[in-house]
Amino acid sequence: MKNGFVIFLAAFAMIFTSWSAFVLGPQLQLGREKQVPVLNSTEVYPRSRHGEANQGLQVYRANGCAACHTEQVQQDGVACEVVLSSAGKNPAAISNLLATLNLRGLSQADAQAVSDKIAAGGGKVETHIVAVGPDIARGWGLRHSVAEDFLYDNVVQLGSLRIGPDLAGVGTRLPDANWQLLHLYAPKSVVKDSLMPPFRYLFETRKIGDAPSADALNLPQGFTPPAGYEVVPKPEAKELVAYLLSLHADVPLYDAPFTPVVVAKP
Amino acid sequence: MSDPVISTSSEPTAARSLAPMWILVLTLILLFLGAVYFDRHSGWFDQQVYSPYASAAMLDSYQPKSGAAAAAAQGKRVYEQVCGLCHGVDGLGKPGQAPPLAGSDWVIAKGHNRLAHIPLAGINGPITVGGKNWNLGMAAMGAALSDADLAAVLTYIRSSWGNQAGEVTADDIKTIRAGLVRPQPMSLDQLMAMPE
Amino acid sequence: MTVNETQTNKIDASCRVPLLVLFGGAAAWLVVGSLLALLASLTFHMPDKFGDCPWGTYGHLQPAADDALLYGFCIPAGLGVALWIFARLGQTPLRGALVPVVAAHLWHLGVLVGLVGIFVGDSTGFAWLEFPRGGSALLFFSYLLLGLWALMNFSGRRDSGMFPSHWFLVAALFLFPWIYSAANILIVGWPVRGVVQAVIAWWFGNNLVFVWTSLVGLGTAFYFLPKFSGRPLQTYFYALFAFWTLLFFGSMRGVPSGAPVPAWLPTLSSLNSLMLIIPVIAIVIIGWKTVVGAAGQECKGGSFCMVKFGFVAFILSALLLIAQSCPVIGRLTQFTWFGPAQTQLQLYGFFAITMFGAIYHILPRAVGIEFAFPKLIRVQHWLAMLGIFILVASLAVGGVEQGMKLNDPAVAFGDSTKAMLMFLRVSTTGLLFILLANLLFALNIFVMILAWKWSLVKTVFAFVISPLNKAEVKA
Repeated sequence: MKNGFVIFLAAFAMIFTSWSAFVLGPQLQLGREKQVPVLNSTEVYPRSRHGEANQGLQVYRANGCAACHTEQVQQDGVACEVVLSSAGKNPAAISNLLATLNLRGLSQADAQAVSDKIAAGGGKVETHIVAVGPDIARGWGLRHSVAEDFLYDNVVQLGSLRIGPDLAGVGTRLPDANWQLLHLYAPKSVVKDSLMPPFRYLFETRKIGDAPSADALNLPQGFTPPAGYEVVPKPEAKELVAYLLSLHADVPLYDAPFTPVVVAKP
Repeated sequence: MSDPVISTSSEPTAARSLAPMWILVLTLILLFLGAVYFDRHSGWFDQQVYSPYASAAMLDSYQPKSGAAAAAAQGKRVYEQVCGLCHGVDGLGKPGQAPPLAGSDWVIAKGHNRLAHIPLAGINGPITVGGKNWNLGMAAMGAALSDADLAAVLTYIRSSWGNQAGEVTADDIKTIRAGLVRPQPMSLDQLMAMPE
Repeated sequence: MTVNETQTNKIDASCRVPLLVLFGGAAAWLVVGSLLALLASLTFHMPDKFGDCPWGTYGHLQPAADDALLYGFCIPAGLGVALWIFARLGQTPLRGALVPVVAAHLWHLGVLVGLVGIFVGDSTGFAWLEFPRGGSALLFFSYLLLGLWALMNFSGRRDSGMFPSHWFLVAALFLFPWIYSAANILIVGWPVRGVVQAVIAWWFGNNLVFVWTSLVGLGTAFYFLPKFSGRPLQTYFYALFAFWTLLFFGSMRGVPSGAPVPAWLPTLSSLNSLMLIIPVIAIVIIGWKTVVGAAGQECKGGSFCMVKFGFVAFILSALLLIAQSCPVIGRLTQFTWFGPAQTQLQLYGFFAITMFGAIYHILPRAVGIEFAFPKLIRVQHWLAMLGIFILVASLAVGGVEQGMKLNDPAVAFGDSTKAMLMFLRVSTTGLLFILLANLLFALNIFVMILAWKWSLVKTVFAFVISPLNKAEVKA
């Protein structure tokens, strides 16, 4: 290998291969994605964020939130659950039968076997698909994150460290804007032993005017500002909270299927 | 501090030797194992196959089949998007906007024929709902919905808010639609003239 | 002085000013980076103290620390060492030293602009790519200048043979502009849509932090190990093989498993990561055969020791990288401190320490002045080794513990972070040792720069006050 030009060509070929596999390939496959249909519905997903939430993504980026938080739910596997939809003519026999059967965490073949047994006893069943994994069990999302989740993100902030919890489903898990503001101002006031720095510079501590501001934070004991002062969120704090509340990981899609649980009828 | 005694004015050289075959063979074996791994886990470049799904076939097999729960969820979603804006998410309607669906005879009638015609063709003129007179007219809000969606939403309203009536299937809607050619909004008389 | 030695001195002297600018700035950024890293680590032990100023939050400090280490120290140091190795191997003094001097200043300015950009909130939000446009443009053009000039000198060299180090260093020279421009254009300039941004960011991060530093570090090691051990590099074939396999498999990885992208990307990435065992085996054989058994091996804390330590650190770092790609271990260590532990081992334990060894050898020869505090070199060596060992061990073990808790849904999330606190405290100690080591390194470099500047002043002064020659006086 005496010729520098030979090295250049061969190195070029290798870097080109790497570029094709990890830059060109994904761009061709995912770069012009459009909204996808939600499973069993006429809706499409995702919806683009409205103004404040979009701005909040920039606040998220500027403050380096991705250094401690991820926004990607992981799923280890998928399982079937058998759910009784009608007990049929002989409820007592069905309930005896159910007591002997395992209805959750089944493979497809097992779920079919269990369904057949119950159907033979006169009951009607449905097989539900559920996602499996520690992230799912913690309630961080109902299914793994997919490319469509980030379709309208100007800056995709996936994160790589979980010093703080995953935020992909935080809009579903903690939908209270007041909680989010309190947590940003004084994390220890709502999460015991939190390591998150208090983002006090996103808030303004000012003298109370004629009447307390409607936005003023209702801080617990030990975190309240001095008497006569109130803590009011700056626009950045509100935008960041709007962004956080817009994060959901609970829509069933073709590439992340699960059976959404229907809330009982009123 | 001194580096070892070697004179540093001589530049290093590289020893030439025969290429050891064993490392090339090892590389080829590992490449083969890698190809097997790729075959098992990659989904063969399918855009929709994400881990933990190993292949497109596996992903397809785990799509939830439309059961009653799924249909109810679908019906609820369509209702809230299309009908609930006027008839209310709680089915109670609003005076001056839309009559209630909860407890409405039109909704819980044994047959679904008259009910299905309402969203497919629309209503014109006075109509009595729950003892009250309504004369607001309704556009054919269901004309743009698919058979499955309209069936799901009708099933949903027939089984929500205390209503207990039978389901409507997509085939039912298909048959009714086929019978309607350029439907015009129906009047009360026209509705009563058709079978329930 | 033999003719050979005069020639060597000329070659070394021709590198003088470019190396002083590159290494001097690099030493400064090294200290800045380790200080920022220490502060970032402290935010975990006293989070409340850092809440009033945006510049003090972890989200600003850690990316700045990482980028200061990589762009502020690693790349300029690597480029400087590469230039000197090219000059020595090609037996040709470097010509046109103004170009690299200007380029090096531009580079350091770019790093400054980039770091300030991160602190004021203009970070791009992607790991290793945080510098805003102004900073990254400066870096790119500076590298282009340096790279083109290095290539011109390289092609004009007298000794046209190629030694393994040449392949590694030339490939690295080409790699950076490609990946840096692609990443900046497609993520920052005209951003691609959606998750493709993340894929490109992962591709870039891997190619820079792993592939580029491995190429330059190994190119340096393959030059110095045979030189210090007095034996030829064993062997040409293994070096060739390691080069091609490292470049190919190393560049075709980077996407973490379980990422929100179609399965073929993480699968391709995992299998290429596992294939990296092949170049690692070849590199171990090279190191073993070249060094083990050679004379002069007592560890005096000098350049040879540092290059050997860096070499072993590379093997370990690559093994940790491969381990992270195995399905079972990867599932445990993803999203934990294990990742940063491996990165720090690669960047500091391997690359920085190898660069220390090289710079301590090169700079006195290039400048013609010995280091003012030779004993401190040994102290620095031990402090750096101790520091990186403590840092990597604590974060790696703590990361595994954190991963076990994260994967157990019965354990509340807060407990997984609490379990890390003790390990983080230990890692802060490691960072403190590293900061001290870097300060000692910078001290030696800065004193040498001052000594050189003083010698310049003395030369000018001597010229000014020297008695005039008869011929110099106008009649």
